[in-house]
Amino acid sequence: MSVLSLHDVTKNFGETEIIRGVSLNIERGEKHAIIGPNGAGKSTLFHLISGLYNVTGGSIKFKDKEIQNKKPYEISRLGLARSFQVTNIFARLNVFENVRCSLLWSSGYKYSFWHLLGRQKELNEKTLEVLEQIGLQDKKLTPAGELAYAHQRALELGIAIASGAEVIMLDEPVAGMSLTEAESAVELIHRITEGKTLIMVEHDMNIVFDVADRISVLVYGEVIACDKPENIRANTHVQEAYLGEVVTDA
Amino acid sequence: MTVIKKSTVWICYLLGLLALPQFFDSVLAISIFNQMAIAIVFALSYNMLLGQGGMLSFGHAVYFGLGGFLAVHALVMIEFEILSFSIIWIPLVGGFIGLLAALFIGTFSTHKAGTVFAMISLGIGELIAASSLIFVSFFGGEAGISGDRTFGPPFFGIEWFQNLEIYYLAVAWVFIATLFMYFFTLTPAGKMANAVRDNPERAEFIGYSARRVRYITFCAAGFFAGIAGGLFALNYEFITEENLNAATSGRVLLSAYIGGLGYFIGPIIGAVVLTLMNSLLSNYSDLWMLYLGIMFLLTVLFLPRGFAGFIMMHQMVWAHGKIKSLVLPYLITGVPSFIFVIASVGLIELSHTDEAEFYYLGLNFDSTTAIDFILISIAVLAALFCIRKSLPQLRAAWESANEISDDDEKEAQS
Amino acid sequence: MLEVFIFATLNGLVTGLLLFMLASGLTLIFSMMGVLNFAHASFYMLGAYFAYSISLHFGFWTGLIFAPIIVGVLGALVERYGLRRVHQHGHVAELVFTFGLAFLIEEAVQFFWGADTKNYQSPDLLDFPLFTLFGQEFPAYRGFMIGISITIFISLYYVLTKSRIGIIIQAALTHPHTVSNLGHNVPLIFMGVFGVGTALAGVAGVMAGPVLTTFPGMAVVLGSIVFVIVVIGGLGSLAGAFIASILIGLLQSYAIASDLGMPDLLNILGIEFSRDHPLTDLWTLTLPQIAPILPFLLLVLVLIFRPTGLMGKREQ
Repeated sequence: MSVLSLHDVTKNFGETEIIRGVSLNIERGEKHAIIGPNGAGKSTLFHLISGLYNVTGGSIKFKDKEIQNKKPYEISRLGLARSFQVTNIFARLNVFENVRCSLLWSSGYKYSFWHLLGRQKELNEKTLEVLEQIGLQDKKLTPAGELAYAHQRALELGIAIASGAEVIMLDEPVAGMSLTEAESAVELIHRITEGKTLIMVEHDMNIVFDVADRISVLVYGEVIACDKPENIRANTHVQEAYLGEVVTDA
Repeated sequence: MTVIKKSTVWICYLLGLLALPQFFDSVLAISIFNQMAIAIVFALSYNMLLGQGGMLSFGHAVYFGLGGFLAVHALVMIEFEILSFSIIWIPLVGGFIGLLAALFIGTFSTHKAGTVFAMISLGIGELIAASSLIFVSFFGGEAGISGDRTFGPPFFGIEWFQNLEIYYLAVAWVFIATLFMYFFTLTPAGKMANAVRDNPERAEFIGYSARRVRYITFCAAGFFAGIAGGLFALNYEFITEENLNAATSGRVLLSAYIGGLGYFIGPIIGAVVLTLMNSLLSNYSDLWMLYLGIMFLLTVLFLPRGFAGFIMMHQMVWAHGKIKSLVLPYLITGVPSFIFVIASVGLIELSHTDEAEFYYLGLNFDSTTAIDFILISIAVLAALFCIRKSLPQLRAAWESANEISDDDEKEAQS
Repeated sequence: MLEVFIFATLNGLVTGLLLFMLASGLTLIFSMMGVLNFAHASFYMLGAYFAYSISLHFGFWTGLIFAPIIVGVLGALVERYGLRRVHQHGHVAELVFTFGLAFLIEEAVQFFWGADTKNYQSPDLLDFPLFTLFGQEFPAYRGFMIGISITIFISLYYVLTKSRIGIIIQAALTHPHTVSNLGHNVPLIFMGVFGVGTALAGVAGVMAGPVLTTFPGMAVVLGSIVFVIVVIGGLGSLAGAFIASILIGLLQSYAIASDLGMPDLLNILGIEFSRDHPLTDLWTLTLPQIAPILPFLLLVLVLIFRPTGLMGKREQ
């Protein structure tokens, strides 16, 4: 049964059609990668699913609820979390507070102004667990804005996964990292998405083929292929559209 | 900080407030302390908005003033026996009205932070200030309205004839308000206010409506501003349009900013400094507002995080025991800076005075001839020269003190 | 009735054009730096005071030329040594800086010129009625204000749209980095535009001083209304600022000139209230009374229902 399904989703900016009828089913527990050339609309698609943009047409269903045109916080509360391509953290809060903030709603605190955070034992323990997972337990009191780039990316992931959402969307999680940093990031992604549904936009094909169970290829706002990694690799359409030429000895 | 350490700070704060009249017990001192108490609560409530929630308001006096007006009306009603309760609850009346006003205005003003919020707050502020002059029967026109705090049922025999009695009542309210405003920063709503201030977009992706978070902060700030307004009503027993207009809104922005936004203690420092300047300096010079303006601009330019920020800058150096290396450099730059300030003030006052003989710092100057002007000007320029010459050594000392701290930290971590 | 209407319209136009002279500079500065200059009306006040001091020795016309130049230079210095420094701390710091500047300028004006109203007069040359209508005179000085404003706006329009420097400025407003990469000195352009914007405010002050009286509170009186105008017109939109300026000018002028009020409305509806009704202030409200709050009422309404303003495009 699919946990997230897009049906004929379109998005126009003024006259320009960015997403032109995308239909996509994401199964529960699968690791799904979306690839495509620059400007294909991958980030736009993420923004549509997560509620940053409203769709122009079509519908998006998450756990059988229609979520197109819902607000980001409503979608997030349903259990869909995401990270951003450009680091998007709470710069003046420290690392610990960043992660704890993203745990608040799912722990049921809502807009409470009668709970003292320091006293919420379970919440703080959970926060520490997440910090350990992303390897930032030593930096917990550092203001997020002062972290090194790779650490900020780890925190970006931490904020996305902390709430325990069952579907996690990662937008180019290793962008701008060195090779070794990217390797440990991939390991981190494996670890934190275990047993969860993952949707990921990524340019690095090694990582895509390493992580994904299924790959969708987005070109000019349309999904031209959606299949298992080995079939995508062999798909001549994809090679033409994406790689620019047919690779014969795939 | 441990719990014990924190409670010590709070107990010291309370004891300090209670002990003040033991050291200064003149009528003037008590009246200044009362002003300070009001200013502290008001500035803290402003910091909730701007420092914690990132909402720059040019109309925060609206909640202070409306709270104050209703509090005076409540005093009048007690006097005419329409209501009957002890006046110790008057600040709560103010707070309740401030909250009501914020509940209503917040529904449309907290949609966005930034310039839009600032402009709406300015518009609402001007609107209410102007309306207050039109609706004379409620606001009393330019003369304002007045009440009498001594009519309510006595509180354990206290009938509130003395300003000192009001001071102790104010201390109780200031302490409670400070405590609750501090606790607010530690709650989910308070922490999310910081998160929304830093990055409203991301806050929406972790389940929070940025608008709702702002709304809650806005209402809380309105509530505490109203409490300050209620304290004002109790202390002065009258209130006028001036207490809800743009000048009052501007002054609270000044005091919170000078004290240091984003630090909880900042607005307290700012409120104390501004009240002292207001009440002490204004006795000596009618130019004190000019000095305040200059001080404010210098703070914005050179100490963007205010006095509190300046103190906190030294935390790292202090923690690593390097503060001693800064004492001498600070003195080398500080002494000419002090002379510069004193001499500049002298020059400004001398050129402003109408009298031929002008006393300043125990010295006698002649404002009719040029010679004294030239002498003081030389002092100003000489001090400025020394400051410029000594700045590089201060900067170098500061950097070396901080560099070493970085190394220390790395050692401590490895 | 008709003469009241015509004179109210003419006076509204004078006010509107004066407001636009401030609002245009403020709008240019906003589109450039993304910050509303709180002290803009203070430069207007400085214009009036400088012109007053100059006029004491050299007459009105010398003041009209030199006061705006002095104000413009001051504005450029403020940009160079103040705003540019605060810029790194973000928009809130910039807004707070200009707020502090407005505060300081008001105090400084009182320091140098005193707190009393200055007897700054319009020139004798223009001390005659331009025309007489229904027995009422329209002063030549007001006609002169309209003429000067329109001349300045037309020349400004030509400089901005037709000249090379105007095209560079327009480009710098929207794409500062690109313009900078093309080898133009963007900070210098910014400083120049800030200087010209404040000089425009100075011109407005020179002309308004004799009509609206020259006193230390004149910046506050006009300042918040100019703010209202640029927000209502849509931040960054010159056309919007123009429409809003004229609109507010006319609105206030009509409201002051009319003698309508709640009593008239209640008469029509056939409702009567006694004088000692608790809401008596509300039932006796008249339009001239609420004229000063109309701009702010309009501002709040516009911001609630159309946060981008009349002609604005950007969200923030």
